[in-house]
Amino acid sequence: MKSLYLPITVDHIARVEGKGGVEIIVGDEGVKEVKLNIIEGPRFFEAITVGKKLDEALAVYPRICSFCSAAHKLTAVEAAEKAIGFEPREEIQALREVLYIGDMIESHALHLYLLVLPDYLGYSNPLKMVDEYKKEIGIALDLKNLGSWMMDELGARAIHQENVVLGGFGKLPGRATLEKMKRRLQEALPKAEYTFELFSKLEQYEEVEGPIIHMAVKPRDDVYGIYGDAISVSDGFEFPSEDYKKHMVERVVEHSFAKHSFYNDEKPFMTGAISRVVNHADKLYGRAKELYESHKDLLRSTNPFANNLAQALELVYFTERAIDLIDEALAKWSIRPRDEVEIRDGFGVSTTEAPRGILVYALEVKDGRVAYADIITPTAFNLAMMEVHVRMMAEKHYNDDPERLKYLAEMVVRAYDPCISCSVHVARL
Amino acid sequence: MEKKVRIGFYALTSCYGCQLQLAMMDELLQLLPHAEIVCWFMVERDSYEDEPVDIAFIEGSVSTEEEIELVKKIRENAKIVVAVGSCAVHGGVQSWEKDKSLEELWKTVYGDGKVKFEPKMAEPVENYIKVDYRIYGCPPEKKDFLYAIGTFLVGSWPEDIDYPVCVECRLKGHPCILIEKGEPCLGPITRAGCDARCPGFGVACIGCRGAIGYDVAWFDSLAKTFKEKGLTKEEILERMKMFNAHNPKLEEMVEKIFQGVEE
Repeated sequence: MKSLYLPITVDHIARVEGKGGVEIIVGDEGVKEVKLNIIEGPRFFEAITVGKKLDEALAVYPRICSFCSAAHKLTAVEAAEKAIGFEPREEIQALREVLYIGDMIESHALHLYLLVLPDYLGYSNPLKMVDEYKKEIGIALDLKNLGSWMMDELGARAIHQENVVLGGFGKLPGRATLEKMKRRLQEALPKAEYTFELFSKLEQYEEVEGPIIHMAVKPRDDVYGIYGDAISVSDGFEFPSEDYKKHMVERVVEHSFAKHSFYNDEKPFMTGAISRVVNHADKLYGRAKELYESHKDLLRSTNPFANNLAQALELVYFTERAIDLIDEALAKWSIRPRDEVEIRDGFGVSTTEAPRGILVYALEVKDGRVAYADIITPTAFNLAMMEVHVRMMAEKHYNDDPERLKYLAEMVVRAYDPCISCSVHVARL
Repeated sequence: MEKKVRIGFYALTSCYGCQLQLAMMDELLQLLPHAEIVCWFMVERDSYEDEPVDIAFIEGSVSTEEEIELVKKIRENAKIVVAVGSCAVHGGVQSWEKDKSLEELWKTVYGDGKVKFEPKMAEPVENYIKVDYRIYGCPPEKKDFLYAIGTFLVGSWPEDIDYPVCVECRLKGHPCILIEKGEPCLGPITRAGCDARCPGFGVACIGCRGAIGYDVAWFDSLAKTFKEKGLTKEEILERMKMFNAHNPKLEEMVEKIFQGVEE
């Protein structure tokens, strides 16, 4: 009998960053509606920083999100430096990328081991896995600690890094610290590879299999990385970062404090580790390149669960990449942490790859103050696509036990590694 | 068998950084055998928001009508309520533009768009319920958590720090950013406990642990120093409001410095 339907809801999705819920409404014809309710309150970051001094605004932006505060800080600083017409020295740029990679390593390790893995192993909470999965929890903590320590040394702390300033850093770590960082990264490589092996064995649910449009920042210098000045789309299209508003169009939706984004105003799209791999695997090198070649079928463009494995691949890649960047910085070493900057009027757009995908900052500077700010985060870009995938899962399982459907729906959401706090601080119209 | 302490970690509107700081502490693994996590959505799927707990940690500012109801419910269910971090204690950076109306801020970000939840201006938790203890910082230091939790577990109360960041900065021997570099460092009014982390990196303090309590936040004397360095009243207020927008003393004390003086 199907005359009475109750919505299947998860009020508060656990093991994600921020507050959001899923609502699935089933009717006679099957799934009627799927909504990701983003219930985290608004914080109006763009509005409160307009009119404020540039350096103070740059201290506030990373506070949009703790999981990717380094990403926010570095992207905001790059947009500001572009606006005032300043380009950091090469070794400063290299060390900033190392700091960004610290965030990437910590965030991916936390997401994979503490947020995703418990679902696969049947635990409600990663801390309960300690006895039975000592090795895995040990690796999770080691990688997490490595990422945090990199951010401590280069950013002053692991959350909200005040050591990144216009023109460079407040203070640089010494050569000895950088050499130690390199050693610790080398020691972490086998742990990153173990993570990849572990995640290559986990199921990717075929219910959500289907074509996905992927967007990723086109890496600078043709090497797989974080910084870039153009966006690539998996359909072959490419556009300069400045044109983001033309091709990534945002709309307010009634059930969410975060807006939804569409490619060319109509198509949901995905961004994140799997999108980076799909669009730019040819720019990988080293051990990650080999792992990609041997696991292409799992790192596929058609399943959002592949994002988990892509993050594991990136743990390997970025660990190696950070070692190379440290070498580059040491080769061009100078103890001068920052250059004088002149705060001129101007407008700058920075697009970078945060752990969860494309992060956009557009800043206009006038008389030393922020005159305009537009920030769009990966989770805001992903929300529309996430709803599509939760719906696909619901369509296959709406007749099952509601608890089972809830579990699967949450797993779909978790695969995106959503950062809900980030997503509610979305752009002005 | 040892009776486990029932702990809840609740999130209002925030960046989740205080929870992340706690979740990232390896020391947590030592605490867990003595504690039962009743609610902590960031790590525990089986979380229950309206069950009784011994200690409720609340992170985030009250920023929706729904969150007002939530904090009241948490208070009813908890023996000890701890406000964690700058958002819960001071309203957070989202309170920076406290003087603009909600309508104005909403319009700037959402235009004419409507959402089915009820937003409101960000406020500290204490504006709605009694708070028993505060853990300061954006984010708090790990040792702040260790000290607070450790003290609760032995049945005692942690003490507040009532001296400024400058004290720790001097002990560390860092050059003074305010006097020697002339930058608007908020160290003199900001509650210590961070070991002068930012000045140690050559970066001026932005006051993320909030002003020292007990009415000894010398907003006026620091404002006088800033004024002498050429900062306007607006510039001083803006900087001090990043983490102190709800402090009832701030405007009055800064105002005093600018009264009766010809500009």
